[in-house]
Amino acid sequence: MNPVAISAFGVLGGLLGLDTVSFPQAMLSRPIVAATLGGAAMGSPAAGLLCGATLELFALETLPIGAARYPEWGSASMIGGGLYALQGDGHVGGLLTSVAIALLCAWLGGWSMVHLRKLNARWAERHGDAVASGSRKAIVGLQLYGLAADFLRGAVLTLAAVFVAMPVQATVLRTLEVNAALSRAVVVATATAVALSAVWKIFRAVPHARALFLAGVAAGLAVALAR
Amino acid sequence: MAIELYRIDDRLIHGQVVVGWGQPLGLAFIVLVDDEVAGSDWEQELYRMGVPPEMHVYFESVDTAAVRLGTYQEDQRPGLLLTADINTMIRLVDATGSIPAVNVGGIHHRAGRSQRLRYVFLTPQEADDLRQLAKRGVLVTAQDVPAARPLSLDELLAGEGNR
Amino acid sequence: MTTKLPVTVPWMTQASMFVRLLAIQASWNYEGMLGNGIAFCMEPALRLLPGGVDGVEYRAALGRQSQYFNANPYLASVAVGALVRAELEHEEPERIARFRKALCGPLGSVGDRLVWAALLPTCALAALAVFGWGGGAMATVVTFLGFYNAINLALRAWGLRVGLRTGIQVAHSLGTRFVRHGPRLLGSLALLLAGFGLPLVVQRIVQPGVALLGGTLAVIVVGGVLLARLHGRVEGWKVALVAQVALILLWAVK
Repeated sequence: MNPVAISAFGVLGGLLGLDTVSFPQAMLSRPIVAATLGGAAMGSPAAGLLCGATLELFALETLPIGAARYPEWGSASMIGGGLYALQGDGHVGGLLTSVAIALLCAWLGGWSMVHLRKLNARWAERHGDAVASGSRKAIVGLQLYGLAADFLRGAVLTLAAVFVAMPVQATVLRTLEVNAALSRAVVVATATAVALSAVWKIFRAVPHARALFLAGVAAGLAVALAR
Repeated sequence: MAIELYRIDDRLIHGQVVVGWGQPLGLAFIVLVDDEVAGSDWEQELYRMGVPPEMHVYFESVDTAAVRLGTYQEDQRPGLLLTADINTMIRLVDATGSIPAVNVGGIHHRAGRSQRLRYVFLTPQEADDLRQLAKRGVLVTAQDVPAARPLSLDELLAGEGNR
Repeated sequence: MTTKLPVTVPWMTQASMFVRLLAIQASWNYEGMLGNGIAFCMEPALRLLPGGVDGVEYRAALGRQSQYFNANPYLASVAVGALVRAELEHEEPERIARFRKALCGPLGSVGDRLVWAALLPTCALAALAVFGWGGGAMATVVTFLGFYNAINLALRAWGLRVGLRTGIQVAHSLGTRFVRHGPRLLGSLALLLAGFGLPLVVQRIVQPGVALLGGTLAVIVVGGVLLARLHGRVEGWKVALVAQVALILLWAVK
């Protein structure tokens, strides 16, 4: 990757990280979008989408509810989709390693978000008197600080992944000795198990939940077997 | 007994109560005890909006709650009783004598309060009030959501489990 | 109930508030939460108070409104609108404080149930179903973003308008059918989509390894039921990550 491409990737990572909570929270940061964009940035949106769909299965479990701690999927999914498109697609273990790196980045991203929120609290405290007295400058300033810091957070995370995770993945892919089908099966099985439990946890209170789900499964299996 | 939880939470009805406790307990009703809310129509309407259509909210002042508590306790459906502050709960305990346990679910930052837990801030007076409550034989614990471990009054006052 | 505001909020001011709503969580923190964001979004309209930006009322209102507030970020638009109206109508500060407090709970629980626990997973499952069906990058992404943001933006715009129109009496308007019954409706749709889409997604991703389908299905069903039984005490994606890293290390070293 040349310096221009790396910078562009960092900026995109920063923007997608920003979308998770700060601005505009339009869910461009969901894996199915962010990983596809990451793949597109590396020349293959289709590869990004495959990785993104897999990550989305994991992400179903984590709802970004206010004060809860949750993984940051935006930058992480873009990294996963980008890596899969760049060096994973067509390699044995390519999807498995890209997904694992993305999950790791989501974890790191979530951790960095907790620290950003503490930093926001410190800034708010420092300007507490000005804010309480109704200073427009202080109130608008706090929002802008938060936006800038959150963008930087995502960009730094993305660049770190480019410089650390990319070479690590390349090395692992060279030494990995595993059946291609088995490595994919591991990814799909873990991802879908998480998705299944998430659907049940979120929607089990809906009336006739079991019947609705099973009706869907019947239709899905019919289509799957027919093609 | 049909009231499963007696909770002090200054946010009154919100997500942790409705979803966090509501789903596992299968709550059918909430008794909200607050003298000011009991006299304010628009506040009652707002709080009523916070629960799913099938859940009932009954608004009571301390005086009316003291009279009707027995009826709620004999209700077949699972319910939850809610006050916004420690003082209201103490008055209710004194007026009824039939509240076995109190859950401290959220008392947030305000001038004069110091942090005990992530979700509990107390003035020295309020800490003392909780001790008084315990002296009357009421089991006082702190727990924001069912998945968290309930903390004893000593742990709460010492700020243990503070993350 | 919905009388005319003493001061009309110009169209441009409303547009400016709407754009700011998209960044309402920019300074989110564990103490004030959404508080500063609420004041930030209300600020353009508060300039309409007597005396404008240099007035005593403007500063007093901004100061009040920047204190602790917690709600779902999308439905916070209702609070922003309603609080603007309350300020422009010169409600007593004490009454505004009670109103703010009473808004947090309902806007939080209604919004979280509608947006995070219904709309978002339903849209994600719809996109996954499109992907499983064989949809390409464009079709899948457009399905997700279109479905989600049509409702996201409409919800924010509706909230701001309804708040501005009704002020302290906003509770009546929160009871619209979509807000009250949306979670259940979306939930039913999500369950159908999940049942339909998940087998197709598995099929599409695992395609080259059909030989292992039996084992894969067994892990999905057993793992899914186990994780669901644990009731959120364990996060599935973390368990999966640990398992994946362990297998990668095993296969890389071997």
